[in-house]
Amino acid sequence: MSKQLDVRGEICPYPMMKASEALKNLSSGESLQVLTDHAPALSTIPWEAAKQGYRASIERVGSPEWLITLEPAEGRSQAELVADLGQQLEAVGALDD
Amino acid sequence: MAFPASAVGARRAASFPSHIVVTAAAVAIALVILVAAQQSQPRLALYWVLGLGVGLVLQRGRLCFAGAFRDLFLMRNGGMLRAILVGLAMAAPVFALIEARAVPEPGFGALASGAHVVPLGLNLPVGGVLFGIGMVVAGGCVSGTLYRIGEGYLASWASLFGILVGLSAAAHTWNAWYTFTIQSAPLGWLPTSVGYGGAVVLTWLALAAAYVGTFWWESRGASGPGFTVPSNRKTVGDPVTLGDHLRAVYRNVLGKGWPPLAAVTALVLLNIAAFLVDTPLGVTGELAAWADRAAGLVGLAAGPLLGVDTLAGCSLAVGANGVINPTTLLDAGLVFGALIAALAAREFKVRVARQRRRYVQSFAGGALMGYGAGIGIGCTIGAFFSAIPSLGLSGWIFGLALLLGAAVGTQVIRRIA
Repeated sequence: MSKQLDVRGEICPYPMMKASEALKNLSSGESLQVLTDHAPALSTIPWEAAKQGYRASIERVGSPEWLITLEPAEGRSQAELVADLGQQLEAVGALDD
Repeated sequence: MAFPASAVGARRAASFPSHIVVTAAAVAIALVILVAAQQSQPRLALYWVLGLGVGLVLQRGRLCFAGAFRDLFLMRNGGMLRAILVGLAMAAPVFALIEARAVPEPGFGALASGAHVVPLGLNLPVGGVLFGIGMVVAGGCVSGTLYRIGEGYLASWASLFGILVGLSAAAHTWNAWYTFTIQSAPLGWLPTSVGYGGAVVLTWLALAAAYVGTFWWESRGASGPGFTVPSNRKTVGDPVTLGDHLRAVYRNVLGKGWPPLAAVTALVLLNIAAFLVDTPLGVTGELAAWADRAAGLVGLAAGPLLGVDTLAGCSLAVGANGVINPTTLLDAGLVFGALIAALAAREFKVRVARQRRRYVQSFAGGALMGYGAGIGIGCTIGAFFSAIPSLGLSGWIFGLALLLGAAVGTQVIRRIA
């Protein structure tokens, strides 16, 4: 199961705050898809998600719009999740995608 | 269940070629303005280029001073603030050299021309706290508002309108502040008492203490220290051919946000350039002039302001040279530079806030910022980022007040959904 959260039009810190709130309301095993058009949220949302034990994957889906999928990452430490973020952020905003 | 196709991905195919054309058109317009400014007055052209540079750096670096202070409280993350502190440490000795060229003997008490150092009146902490609250509530400081306008955020226009209203209100109360506290306050320019070397060392020590302080603050949080967003500089696979390298450069410059320290370093270089030309960067002085002109149209001009011509930095002094001043080009260039950067990076979009209260929030935050900048003689740039390396104590007082204001502002936005 996955829930959706559309935070387009919102600027910092609201995309992160709303995503954080939505994550807290997920039932166990559920994932969350966040749609944003605010580039700074690409680093704040995965950061907040890692704190709550979710792994982020980011896809550029518009100009400029990004879909951030947050999935529960059982058995992964915060440190591991944060290390993953480096890889994720690498792919973000690429012009040749 | 997924987002409907109309919501995501619909514009992907069309966007790639068109953004290059639009970016090229925007660059062409910037060049036309450059040539026109050059023919009118070379100084205008210089400030246009400086403004474009600042806008580019702020947009690509996502360099948000409001966020740097706010995230210390909201997320217990001091990463951006630390980058700014390092930038201030880089700027301080260079500013000292520029000041020493103008005033070789600072002990006599004369302030180097252009340095952003203002008297240590009560207006500074009050203005700084109001500014700090306002920037967090509005979601960006004055320079942040200007670059977000360039990125297409409509709510930032509400912030700008609020800033102008706040600046006008500050002008109306300026004379009271001036006679009450500013007039008799000491200047607090460190080189006067400890020389340039001593002033730089003291500034470095204070910056180092602040740097360590951010880690101490993070370590008090639940997640502990070191839990920060890692650098996104790592490359996936080693570039091999020249084409790979060039693509990697292109991606690093326009594809991804710049690392905080790279953006801050670029802003420091622009600030040094601005000081070499005349005076360090500041964006609110120009807005104050526009606020007063606009207020004049509805019969609310503030009239003569006491002492503004004797104050350095971003005072409310209205430029005497007519409507178009070098700083006009600086502010306009900032917006236009951010627009070009956002277009090139495919990050421009006309963004409408869906909740109407965001516009009210942006306006109210802007008004607080405008008033704070008016009485505090500058914003996060003029009264903080340019003031601390100018080696006065005023930048430190304003900065500490910003910190306090940001803490209050963070509590405010937690209550506004």
